[in-house]
Amino acid sequence: MRLKAFRIENFRSIVDTGMQTVSPDNITCLIGQNESGKTSILEGLEVFSSGVISEDVLRSDLSLPKVTCSFEVPEAYLKSKLHPVNDEFDKLVNSLNNITLIRSWKADLESQMDIGGELLDYIKEVENGRKKELIETGEKIKAFYSELDEARKKKQKLTDKLNSIQIKLDEHPAKEGGLRFFRRKKTDLKDDADNTLEKLSESFEETRGELDKVNSFLEDNSSMVSVVEDRLKTESELESVNKKLDDISMRLEERHQTMTLLSGPSLEYLSRGEWEKVLKEFKSTVSKKERLEKELDMKTLLCGFIFDGLPEEKARIKLQKIEDERKLEYIPRELGEILSADCPHFEIFEDFGSLLPNRIDMEDLVSDNQNIEGYKAARNFLTLAELDYSFFQQPSSRILKQKIENLNTKITLDFQDFWQQYVGRHNKIRINFELDHYSTNHGAKAGKPYLEFWVKDEGERLYPKQRSRGVRWFLSFYLELMAASRRANKHLILLVDEPGVSLHARAQEDVLKVFEDIKENIQIIYTTHSPHLVDINKLHRILAVQRNDLADHRSTTVLLDAARLGDASPDTLSPLQSIMGNPVGDQEFSVDKHNIIVNNVGTFYMMNAAVKLTGYKGRIHFIPSTNSSSIPLMCNILMGWGMKFAVLLFHNDKEIEIARQLEKMVFTNKPGENENIIIMPEEFMNAEDLLSTLDFKNLILKTREGITVSNSEHINLNELPRNFLLSKFLGEVNNGKITRSNLDEESKENLMLLINILQKFK
Amino acid sequence: MNKGIRDFDSVLFAQAMDEHLSSLRYASMIQRSLMPDTSFLSGILKDHFIFYLPKDYVSGDFYYAYQNGGYTIIAAGDCTGHGVPGALLSILGISFLNEILQSRSVPRANRILNRMREKVMDALDQRGKEYEQKDSIDIALCVYEPNGSVIQFAGANRPLIMVSDGQLKEIKPNKMPIGVAPLEEVSFTNHRIEVKEGDRFYMFSDGYPDQFSEKTNKKFKIRNFRQLISHVADWGMDRQKEHIEKIFNEWKGSAIQVDDVLVMGFEI
Repeated sequence: MRLKAFRIENFRSIVDTGMQTVSPDNITCLIGQNESGKTSILEGLEVFSSGVISEDVLRSDLSLPKVTCSFEVPEAYLKSKLHPVNDEFDKLVNSLNNITLIRSWKADLESQMDIGGELLDYIKEVENGRKKELIETGEKIKAFYSELDEARKKKQKLTDKLNSIQIKLDEHPAKEGGLRFFRRKKTDLKDDADNTLEKLSESFEETRGELDKVNSFLEDNSSMVSVVEDRLKTESELESVNKKLDDISMRLEERHQTMTLLSGPSLEYLSRGEWEKVLKEFKSTVSKKERLEKELDMKTLLCGFIFDGLPEEKARIKLQKIEDERKLEYIPRELGEILSADCPHFEIFEDFGSLLPNRIDMEDLVSDNQNIEGYKAARNFLTLAELDYSFFQQPSSRILKQKIENLNTKITLDFQDFWQQYVGRHNKIRINFELDHYSTNHGAKAGKPYLEFWVKDEGERLYPKQRSRGVRWFLSFYLELMAASRRANKHLILLVDEPGVSLHARAQEDVLKVFEDIKENIQIIYTTHSPHLVDINKLHRILAVQRNDLADHRSTTVLLDAARLGDASPDTLSPLQSIMGNPVGDQEFSVDKHNIIVNNVGTFYMMNAAVKLTGYKGRIHFIPSTNSSSIPLMCNILMGWGMKFAVLLFHNDKEIEIARQLEKMVFTNKPGENENIIIMPEEFMNAEDLLSTLDFKNLILKTREGITVSNSEHINLNELPRNFLLSKFLGEVNNGKITRSNLDEESKENLMLLINILQKFK
Repeated sequence: MNKGIRDFDSVLFAQAMDEHLSSLRYASMIQRSLMPDTSFLSGILKDHFIFYLPKDYVSGDFYYAYQNGGYTIIAAGDCTGHGVPGALLSILGISFLNEILQSRSVPRANRILNRMREKVMDALDQRGKEYEQKDSIDIALCVYEPNGSVIQFAGANRPLIMVSDGQLKEIKPNKMPIGVAPLEEVSFTNHRIEVKEGDRFYMFSDGYPDQFSEKTNKKFKIRNFRQLISHVADWGMDRQKEHIEKIFNEWKGSAIQVDDVLVMGFEI
């Protein structure tokens, strides 16, 4: 899996970075001033993996953080990880080549990983459809319940009435006979027309009839009544759980406020034990809430089936079937948990975290005693040396020493590939390790083996710790990264905050070399202020970080990708502007005019060589794009910077299409601007076609084979290292090994044609 | 071996030879058909003659003409060796020229040869290594420009003879073939020659000057060939061809023809 994009919300100074795409070539560089929020971005990404945050990352409004990462997944990966659910879901899974995972935190600062992106959209769509159905059923339940309520009230009323009539009837003189009748005046009953026996009897019958109807309604709906009431019980239980959760959340928020030293009442009176009890209660309440929500949905469904006329028994069978089917379905968290298990791990590189010890006991290495100082560095060293402990079990001390010497040479040579700095003028440092045994005056350790490390140069043999800060940092950095790259069985995304601050400018370039070397195995995101750590030829790697309101260091952090670099402040872009003018060492960066964008760095070399070979003295500054597809992006950047420029395109399908895109999308409706698109004549499919085949062979390829296609086609067909070849060519032109007199008339004519074309651009 | 068997073998051998010769005759016909016919040449040239005399049925020499965008391209080539190997290479040469000249770019004589060399080196997998095949083509190639006043010439070991106002001028070729060069491949030189009406041009393979005489057992030599051209240049083309052929036959006598012969004369 490879990280494609990320988004950080509510994390320190960051409100929302928006979805930011990282460089497709695995090295992403964050530039920006101090306090702009670069480190927060690295930390935000790191907690995506760890899930561990503290209150101090919370923003003042206490909004909870959320980090979203999008990953590219190998073909058929999802299919292999997820069981079939239904045709639609399975089809979606098969069509996806990336996944989005969202790590979000709750009030107790515990987090959960959910799926996002298309899979989440799908789940939500399904849920929304179901929710609609549940809402409709809910409405029906409400109506039914109110009918039920009325019927019950009516029943009560009718029962009361019936009872009262019964009493009257029972007390009626005609029924009671002489004694009672005798005691009352005749007129008492005579005047009360309603209380005549006849009337009372009629009313009794009428009321009983109505009551029968109500009873019959209640009887008919008895099964419905029980399920609706059961549902209502769950609903009210959920309501009280939600209320409880609100209360706990409020207490947690108060705690966050206290911890972040903001405002609000202190909860310090809570002991640690009591506080943990609160957190436990929060967790159990959340889980209860989730259970009740699910239960409520199922009960609502059951009501719906019964409303639709299914007998309760059949409705329950149908519900069970649905429940079984839904058991197969994934919920966002489940998908998040499954897929995050394989996603790359973000890890912050610790400065000096892998500093070689002067000495480490073999016993500690063998027993994985990680608490011992220098353990990690020593392990990294052994990984790089491709050694395991069996290596040291060589019975012959002489052979072992020879093997160690050979290894020292190899390790040093590997290291020197990257660290090209000298001690003095010619002296390069060497990394050595030795196996030795404690002498008898070391007590219990006597006779036990240990490894000793040295960083040597011709003048001195010093322990690693005795070396300069720069050497120590680079050595630690080198060991950590190279070892991580070697053992990367799970993809690692290394987050490096301002690498090489203690290094000389040239040594900083060595840091870039290490990044380049490991980028196939490890993705790297690093922050820097140094122009030496930004590759001018790879502007697509840059994300500019700055505060939304430049005057207020408390304002939120914003990120600007390469397409929006034009919106970044000059201070943010200062590392870029330091290098933009100096891609080949002797050219100045023009902010006004004479800038010509070319398709890539190979062409950039060729163009500079062409200008030099023709002896053209005018001002032309070539700016390499990363590839022809990035030309529109480069145009946008330069436009943002208010620079005037032209685009030089070669006659190949891709660049002809780019010309169309530029006309449509970049130079739209601006009179005269389309003249800034220069398309080379048909025979020049790329910059190397400016040379005759013969010169191409003699001066660039240095071969004598017959070439029957264009130079550019030959490079493509044979997968030759174009940038390398053309940069070497430029080097030889610059140092005078190749001059105009080495060119044949065809090459000379082509180069003059190029200059004539470029001269037209003012 | 008895006589009967010997007779049978000789019959089989004669049959095989007959088949072989038939094939060669047929191959010769195909090779001829790849070269421009007289009517085509008459259409693009004011006047011309071709003296084409293969040593065997098929030849390592070939002539070529092409017209595109107002440019007329004429060439006379001589492939290493003769007979079948030479003929096969000549067919490659003709097909390479066809490919190159179909390009829409403005033809330059030297660039045509440069490109042709790339194709030959590629086809024969020549990379300048010591033990590889060194087969190649010598060729003289002219591009007559549409303005009618300039002819470009480039030569790979084969010169161009031009006769103007009775004066013979030889334009020297580059001393390298179409194929891997002895040391390194450099660009062929493009000669731009101002021409006027009545100027005559001659391209030829080395078969004529290298022919040994029956009488003296000496080569005819380029010096004599130049004199011969100088002598006949203001004659009609048909007469020139007759005379050149006559001189060749007289010189050769009954000696063996050492190589394929091609002499091409034309007026634009």
